[in-house]
Amino acid sequence: MTDRPLKLVLNGTPRTFEEVPDAERLLDTIRWRAGLKGTKEGCRTGDCGACTVLVNGDPSLSCLTLAREVDGDAVTTVEGVTRETVGRAVVKAFEENGAVQCGYCTPGFVVALSGLLAGRSPPPSTEALLDGLEGNLCRCTGYAAIQRAVAAAREAVR
Amino acid sequence: MRFRTDAAPKAEGAVVYAPDLEAPGMLWAALVPSPVAHGRVVRLDLEPARRQPGVVAAVGAAEAVSLLPGGTGDGAAPVFPSPEILYHGQPVAAVAAETLGAARAAARAVELEVEPLPVVSGIEEVFPEWPTRVALPHPQVVGHVHARRGDVDGAFGAADLVHSETYRTPGVHQVALEPHACLAEVSGDTWRLRSSTQTPFGLRSDLAESLGIPADRLVVEGTWVGGGFGGKGGALIEPYALVLAAAAHRPVKLALTYAEEFQLGRTTLPSIIRLDTAVKGGTVTGRRVRLLLDSGASLPGRDFAVGYSMGFLLGPYRTDTFEIEGYAVRTHKPPFGPHRAPFAPQSVFALESHVDGLARRLGVEPLEFRRRNVWKEKDRTAYDQPVGPFGLDACLAAAERTLRDWRRGLPPDHGIGVGCGFWSTNAGEGGEARLELRPDGLVIYEGEREIGNGSVVRGLPTVAEKVLGLPASAIRVAYGDTAKAPFDSGVYGSRTLAALGQAVERASRALLATLASRLGAATSPTLELRDGHVTVVSGGRRVRLATLLTPEERTVGGLVAEGKFYAPAHRLDTSFVTDGQVFPYRDFTGGAHLAEVAVDRETGHVRVVRYAAFHDVGTAVDLALVRGQVEGGVVMGLGTALSEEMRWEPTGRLGNPDLLDYRLPRLRDVPPLQVEIIEGFAGAGPWGAKGMGEPPIIPVAAAVANAIADATGTRVHELPLTPERVARALKLL
Repeated sequence: MTDRPLKLVLNGTPRTFEEVPDAERLLDTIRWRAGLKGTKEGCRTGDCGACTVLVNGDPSLSCLTLAREVDGDAVTTVEGVTRETVGRAVVKAFEENGAVQCGYCTPGFVVALSGLLAGRSPPPSTEALLDGLEGNLCRCTGYAAIQRAVAAAREAVR
Repeated sequence: MRFRTDAAPKAEGAVVYAPDLEAPGMLWAALVPSPVAHGRVVRLDLEPARRQPGVVAAVGAAEAVSLLPGGTGDGAAPVFPSPEILYHGQPVAAVAAETLGAARAAARAVELEVEPLPVVSGIEEVFPEWPTRVALPHPQVVGHVHARRGDVDGAFGAADLVHSETYRTPGVHQVALEPHACLAEVSGDTWRLRSSTQTPFGLRSDLAESLGIPADRLVVEGTWVGGGFGGKGGALIEPYALVLAAAAHRPVKLALTYAEEFQLGRTTLPSIIRLDTAVKGGTVTGRRVRLLLDSGASLPGRDFAVGYSMGFLLGPYRTDTFEIEGYAVRTHKPPFGPHRAPFAPQSVFALESHVDGLARRLGVEPLEFRRRNVWKEKDRTAYDQPVGPFGLDACLAAAERTLRDWRRGLPPDHGIGVGCGFWSTNAGEGGEARLELRPDGLVIYEGEREIGNGSVVRGLPTVAEKVLGLPASAIRVAYGDTAKAPFDSGVYGSRTLAALGQAVERASRALLATLASRLGAATSPTLELRDGHVTVVSGGRRVRLATLLTPEERTVGGLVAEGKFYAPAHRLDTSFVTDGQVFPYRDFTGGAHLAEVAVDRETGHVRVVRYAAFHDVGTAVDLALVRGQVEGGVVMGLGTALSEEMRWEPTGRLGNPDLLDYRLPRLRDVPPLQVEIIEGFAGAGPWGAKGMGEPPIIPVAAAVANAIADATGTRVHELPLTPERVARALKLL
């Protein structure tokens, strides 16, 4: 195992992290090297979606991604996503539709939905968006409020 | 609408949960799991772990005893097994190191020699046949309940029909998406803990008792909780972190992996339920309920679930002739633990399936059969308690209208099932609130963090808002640790808004009374916010609050009022109980659910087509919060009904400790869901509110099972209702 520097464009800012082991997961780089704790650690096995980030704009599971795999790429976390117009609209839709309870899964949903909506005009259908969120688990809301929030966010960014 | 103050920070990832905690000089902990479900620790050598790079402390049973001189010396529930291991994965030692990777490597380096002992992995190994008479004490029975009322033998002897069935239910896990995590620090004689807990004060007393640390030297700070559902009540991982922190003299962070979460969690465990109902002339004349409940490694006398479940197995039905008997069966699994309405969904699956089948046998429409027999307000329960305001019949009446609607044009292979149940808001020991009214707004000071349902961040401010008249924007909730914050029993029993809400209501009224006396007014004033200033309105007069405060109140803390709510004792005449304990219920709430399913006649796959839930909520203090609880509870219940099952192997090892093989409902599984709120049956909470955290999960598995029976004419007697089980029942396999 080698420890080498790693470069990421993290939330729009070029960053270099020193001595990153090849086996380090992107999730740990983000949470413990960059100190961005908004990306949540749930199952660490790719089953829950709480750790979703955007890699070059596409929703990706940071727990199953080695940081080395995305060396040089643009990684956007919930902190970056929610500074943008689409992310703001998604947060507002979740807030107004009661789609946030314990909140542990919410950053994953917000990142994934923002990734599915950003830069796509017209936006994908609500059904396509819901299909795209199938990999995100929520235990509190029963997804009903999340479905309402998805429809509302889609309307808001149209 | 700004619905909850925590929603946007959570959605932006700005809220700190326990897995996110960090502290200067912090070490990371890892646990050393037992490789067997039952065995004896023959040799534990921590030295190889201590020699690993970055390791600061390694502790086992011996270290725990020397670091905790007041701890459980009798071996009843030691921190680490000494010497008997009781379940697979049980931590036998723990290490703390500079990095998580170093801690995990060191945990693997620990040398452990275990003598394996015979494993009891399930109820049927203890009782291969249904036990008719068990000689007690029995080494594998940790609790026994027996009670009888009326002439049960006479009722069964004279019956013209006896309906007898056996049901089975599996282990199910809470699966809060946030795994357990905590940060422990020992400095001087203070043991300090930050933990994701539903019950900071309960955790403190739990730790004080088991570790032998005086409660006033233990300080617990609850963090935001990433889901609990009962799984984050008492101590689970905290003792390991505290012992390591004491050994290392540095802060120690312990967070479970999700596999550990599954293996160590205190969850619902499997059961076998037998129900017999005597009928004469179309009327139910007697019932026998018998329960074998897997209690895992529960200590003798500590089981609560068997006694608590008996009322749910008798149901919300007029029953004065019955016999109940239950055994808590000790097996090599972690101890049984609470899980959103502990064991009620399972009890109700069995009873409501049974009642449904009985109604069909008697040729009575199943919903109508329930309406004839459920408690009305003036009735008394099986334990002879008054029922009081109870809206289950109103829920069933509303459901009946929807049922008629759904029946029209029902496609072939579709069926509609009804399920109903009751819940009893458990106010717990009690709760207190401290309110600080400041010139610019109100602070509600609490020791209990928001768990997710909104009762703390939204419910408590709504109570203050309604009493005081201040807008929600001028009210905030602040949190403290157990050394500073007012006492509260914690989040369980659907109690938060119903019980703690009353403490806030009383404190709010006390604030108004103080202001009235300062104004010399005979009646309570109201408050409003004008240009950012709290203004007191009394008899047409408007006075800024600041002018009514003492200099000290203006400077620090504001006008302070405390409110307390301690639940009145509910006594139960238990002369009908011959062994063990049954529990009184109180403040009854009811719910009736309808499920429409489509059953694939080739694969046994069940699809829930639509769903409707009708709930007696007393008074909805906040409709959006109630709706969130009903939707969330129903979907969690659909998991219990259709897919969730912990599968232990004969070795006692959990075979599916991950979210791929333990299948939760996913977004696309959710059917269209209709929620109807029934008001007018006042509960004991503020303005008649009843606790709604748990009731919505209770009838779900029953409604789905009854829908399958309606669609196919065949009943499935075991949860979850997987395609394989349904196919077997339909004789497709």
